[in-house]
Amino acid sequence: MENNSEKIIVNNLDLYYGKKAALDNINLSILSNKVTALIGPSGCGKSTFLRCLNRMNDLIPGVLIKGTVLINGRDIYESSVDVVSLRKKVGMIFQKSNPFPKSIFENVAYAPRVNGINNKKELFEIVEKSLRKAALWEEVKDNLDKSGLSISGGQQQRLCIARSLAVEPDILLMDEPASALDPISTSKIEDLIFELKANYTIVIVTHNMQQAARVSDKTAFFYMGELIEVGDTKMMFTQPTNKRTEDYVSGRFG
Amino acid sequence: MVQKHFGQELDQLKNSLTQMTSLVTSQITMAAEALEKGDLELCRVVKSRDKEIDAYENLIQAQCENLFALFQPVATDLRYIMSAMMVNNQLERCGDIAVNIVQRAQKTADHRQLIVKSQILDMLRAAQSMTLDAISAFLHNDVDLARKVIAQDDVVDNFNKQIFNDLVERMKKDPQVVEPGAHLIVLTRQIERMADHSTNIAEDVVFLVEAQIVAHRELSAGSEKPSATS
Repeated sequence: MENNSEKIIVNNLDLYYGKKAALDNINLSILSNKVTALIGPSGCGKSTFLRCLNRMNDLIPGVLIKGTVLINGRDIYESSVDVVSLRKKVGMIFQKSNPFPKSIFENVAYAPRVNGINNKKELFEIVEKSLRKAALWEEVKDNLDKSGLSISGGQQQRLCIARSLAVEPDILLMDEPASALDPISTSKIEDLIFELKANYTIVIVTHNMQQAARVSDKTAFFYMGELIEVGDTKMMFTQPTNKRTEDYVSGRFG
Repeated sequence: MVQKHFGQELDQLKNSLTQMTSLVTSQITMAAEALEKGDLELCRVVKSRDKEIDAYENLIQAQCENLFALFQPVATDLRYIMSAMMVNNQLERCGDIAVNIVQRAQKTADHRQLIVKSQILDMLRAAQSMTLDAISAFLHNDVDLARKVIAQDDVVDNFNKQIFNDLVERMKKDPQVVEPGAHLIVLTRQIERMADHSTNIAEDVVFLVEAQIVAHRELSAGSEKPSATS
């Protein structure tokens, strides 16, 4: 499934919170079945940019967005776009795991059920498939009735990933998905990201430079609302062309 | 602050490398002088100081290991520490060669005319110049000087071939020359290796400054660069 086609094409994207510009003329193409890491100091606009990719910023009062975000060739900011359908295709994993106060099974089955799937066998297949894809099945298969809140932080985060996968998205947006996890859980999430890219396009925001270097194919460096540099991760961490990128990845500022 | 701590550790590595290069420069200079003058006392001094170079090699290796393990350097910092490790190794070998030179100088001290006639001193000066230039290029990130060193390697290789042929001819003609001639052939091989190590250091400088691996190929790699968007 791996290819180099452009899954997401962002053109001339500006975003204002009131009068304050948070993103300034962002142009970026995100390739299918690749992991793209967004890096930059706090407040640089990387999370804002990530949220633009499934219109999460629409929920914030006073936000003005200009430019286009094409996903599979269609501008997601067109008025005719169904935001609910969009967010099914573009799933999101947050920094803090947020399972529903329901069983592990119900966490994963919730969205398919909302979408009208009520057949028990079919739901079970979706839950098992999603948990397997999220590398959690072996750990929870005997405790599917256990509360999603009772498992470890790392397992909760993978449960949230399984919950996203249950609606069969094309794209996964991850906003610092491992920042609250211990090294072992972080490693499992990173391994999972690596495996998931075979079937999904992944965009990840991370403050952990080594994590960006380990998991991503492409890295984009944001600074003060601008996209400073984007390139192959290997090159961004060995031979960045922009001095600000080098200073940031070397830990000299930020 | 981690960055400040990293900077301090990096400064310590640079300081060790400066000390190491100074020691190696001194050893090579003294070894060359010992051979040229047949100075046996100088030979003894060179041999006795080799342990200092070995100690610096270990220290620099440990410093590099710590920097990798504790700070996960990237980009220029990464290349500097990688280069430091590689140059460290080359410098230690140059130090060993200085000892080998004085060992041969001791064994051929009674054959001054043979050393002079066979152009060994000219070869040694060319190799010595390469080593000093390579060290200077490393200390000052001087990639032009590094490329000059790389180009000089052929000169020393040619000396090596000429001197070998010359010594073989002399040994054929005069059995008395066989023993010192054999020592001098070994010596020229050592000098040639010194030039090789200097070339390696110069290649490390190109890698450090330009992020290009030039060893084992004529042309530098045309690698894909990230695109600058502003």
